[in-house]
Amino acid sequence: MRSVTDNAVYNARIPHMRASSSRFPRVACLLVLISIHVPTILASEWRAPEEQLARKIAAATGPGAVALDLVSRSSLSHPDAEEIRRGLMAELAALGVRFVTTDQAAVTVQITLSENLQNYIWVAEIHQGNNESSVVMVAVTRSSPAAVEHSAAGLTIHKTLLWTDENRILDVALVNSNPQHMIVLLPESVVLAKFQDGRWQQEQSLPISHSRPWPRDLRGRLILRKDHLFDAYLPGLFCRSTTAAPLGINCYDSDDPWPLGTDQSGLSAFFAPTRNFFTGALSPGIEKQTTVKAFYSAAMLPRDKYKLWIFATVDGQVHLLDGVTDQPGAKFGWGSDIATLRSGCGLDWQVLASGNGDGASETVTAFEIADREPAAVSPPIQLSGEITALWSDSDGTGVIAVSQNSGTEKYEAYHLSITCSQ
Amino acid sequence: MRLTTFPLLVASSLLLAAGSSRAAHPHYGGTLHIEMRAAPTSLDPADSNQTEWLGSRNLFRLMFDTLISLDEQGKPEPALATSWQAEPGNQRWQFFLRGGVTFQDGAPVTADTVAASLRRTNPTWKVFSQGDAVVIERDSPAPNLPVELTLPRNSIVKRDGGKISGTGPFAVSQWDPGRKLVLFARDEYWGGRAFLDAIEIAMGKSFREQMISLDLGKAQVIEVAPEQAHRATAEGRHVESSAPVELILLAFNRDTQSPGDGRQRQALALSIDRVLLNTVVLQGSGEAAGGLLPNWMTGYGFLFPASIDLALARQVRSDIPHTTSWALGYDPSDPTARVIAERVVLNARDAGLGMQITSTSGADLRVVRIPLISPDAQISLNELAAELGLPQPNFSSSSIDDLYGAEARLLQSQRVIPLLHVRVAYGVSGAVKSWRTMRDGSWRLPDVWLAAEKP
Repeated sequence: MRSVTDNAVYNARIPHMRASSSRFPRVACLLVLISIHVPTILASEWRAPEEQLARKIAAATGPGAVALDLVSRSSLSHPDAEEIRRGLMAELAALGVRFVTTDQAAVTVQITLSENLQNYIWVAEIHQGNNESSVVMVAVTRSSPAAVEHSAAGLTIHKTLLWTDENRILDVALVNSNPQHMIVLLPESVVLAKFQDGRWQQEQSLPISHSRPWPRDLRGRLILRKDHLFDAYLPGLFCRSTTAAPLGINCYDSDDPWPLGTDQSGLSAFFAPTRNFFTGALSPGIEKQTTVKAFYSAAMLPRDKYKLWIFATVDGQVHLLDGVTDQPGAKFGWGSDIATLRSGCGLDWQVLASGNGDGASETVTAFEIADREPAAVSPPIQLSGEITALWSDSDGTGVIAVSQNSGTEKYEAYHLSITCSQ
Repeated sequence: MRLTTFPLLVASSLLLAAGSSRAAHPHYGGTLHIEMRAAPTSLDPADSNQTEWLGSRNLFRLMFDTLISLDEQGKPEPALATSWQAEPGNQRWQFFLRGGVTFQDGAPVTADTVAASLRRTNPTWKVFSQGDAVVIERDSPAPNLPVELTLPRNSIVKRDGGKISGTGPFAVSQWDPGRKLVLFARDEYWGGRAFLDAIEIAMGKSFREQMISLDLGKAQVIEVAPEQAHRATAEGRHVESSAPVELILLAFNRDTQSPGDGRQRQALALSIDRVLLNTVVLQGSGEAAGGLLPNWMTGYGFLFPASIDLALARQVRSDIPHTTSWALGYDPSDPTARVIAERVVLNARDAGLGMQITSTSGADLRVVRIPLISPDAQISLNELAAELGLPQPNFSSSSIDDLYGAEARLLQSQRVIPLLHVRVAYGVSGAVKSWRTMRDGSWRLPDVWLAAEKP
């Protein structure tokens, strides 16, 4: 029965790559990024509907003199509306329509650029002498608004857009290879991408098989490995990439603890298989401390003789554990996502923490903790929407941040790094 | 870098923390308390009635799924069906079911149970199972069938004797018809367990009672009367509104009887000051309506004039040799409808038309409220025509021209005079996170979570 027509068939979403870069060929890739983030509304987008509406108008008016007016009742920008006006006039002129003032015209055409849920609706009301007016219209598919980039200043967090996807991005890992590769963890697949021709291109998509439905606010983590490419940790599920070509993954139900922090951290924690947080049980523990309150995220700051672990706990607090004491830091004012990176600036290691936005847009700020109190060491950097993941990358020199763009609602994965400045 | 290097940055980040809510991963747990005006006595989507449609619709979506749902742009997306296809002509459709889904009673969802559910609410359809798929055959082309299947009445329900069971994110733990409904989250929900543990819904509460409950912290989500929305916001409450999703109109109880009757209806339509109705009666929370469907749904709604033209109304009236004095009816339980009726009568008299209001059944025309039941314009127009007893619109395609033509023909019948498009509004407590009032006024409660109490 599947060999019937293909109209009205739902097709699985295809990941869209908007722009790409890596932290290694950084300068070159930033140049590529700049060129890609040019506003995307181009005149050619309107040509087809301009032709279509002009033909409909000309069919009603015939060649001759008309007075034309255009107003916009839509979210189109003024330059776009003007572009459309010029395009329509050019198309109408090509069909033999001449433009005159209202008092000279036997026919007036009032064009309104409107919109509904899915489309722009361009409407032309045509009034001819004493005859009843007629209406023609076209529907124009709306494109998604372009994401807006912001720049930071001072001791700077740099963000580099790695991947955009309609599906929730759980984590991204950059593989130091030539050419550069990247692994993207999605709820139903692991995508392998290659940096080629100035952009990330999908090479392979490996489906993740799981028997239980995912919890809401799904989280997951990718860890690069030496003997095989990667491990993927998801709630109640563990996936390991194959060691031999072709690349594949094997997934099985597992409550194994997830690694926290960077490769050097040496600490893992158990993740609640039907929830969005770590249970608080640590493996093997921080010295004698093997449990902490249930938490969303953790970050490690190396000290001379110990490691200071910071936990963003489910009750909204921040807890600092050093192997002996558990110090709550209720006034940090951080969000629930934290991660560390080693920048070489300031105290060498910084904590990146999500901010306190209320959904529309979110920020990440770098902090240092000299003793037990945090000090912001960078201005906040703005992401495009709510932050859904913040993980240290394997070597600890950067952080992967994922946010859901509040305009496009797509998920965007960024690589965050810090550069020293005064 | 020393601690003292960035004192201002530290201060500003702490100030930010004090001034806004914490950005956090959603919390699991807690009970959400909701109050509503509707008092449905049945939880079966097949029994939904128009009067309580807006309230009931939100309840059904907590307990039941449809084969297909609509995204925020009104496009069909998979729900219990993961894919679907039509044969040429769009009369025969096949829907492929999601695997591993269970009803609240633990029974697996099968093509047979889905087919039985759809047959119950659509007796004229031919619905049957075919392997893991469900086939629907219609008498005539149904290009919009996927969207039609998103309507709550097409929810997939397993009926077993007097018991009903759904596949939705919540299941019933207590049901006191017309008074109280308690739901609990299903761990095995195919879309992922809801963040909330439970939802308690108190029904049959007046707007005033609901506002008091919100202020006292007894309810976290309430309905707000459209005309009270601005005031509630000004008083510091958080109010969320939908796009206009309800139509208030004048509906004649029969077709035009003569050319003069038609002219009189035209004069009445021209005499009504809809902008003032919106400003005075709805406190600006609606929109003057010249057409049946709101502009957000069609994009061409502005083409149907909604402004008063008293001079033209009088001119049209003067051309009618004999006018009839109409009785304008309204629902006596709806105080807003009465105020609207009174103002319409005043407007009509300004145009020289005789009219009086009545709350009895012998009216020539009535003030009617009709919910627009889908963000899809074709579906809403179809349902609206059916509800008003108007001829079903004929759509030869899904084009915007076709839709406009169909709506224009319904208006040209002069059986209805649109007045206002009205929003629905909800008062939402600050403890409720990720609350989203969709354009059509529906809730997305599986994504809602409650802020944890401060430690």
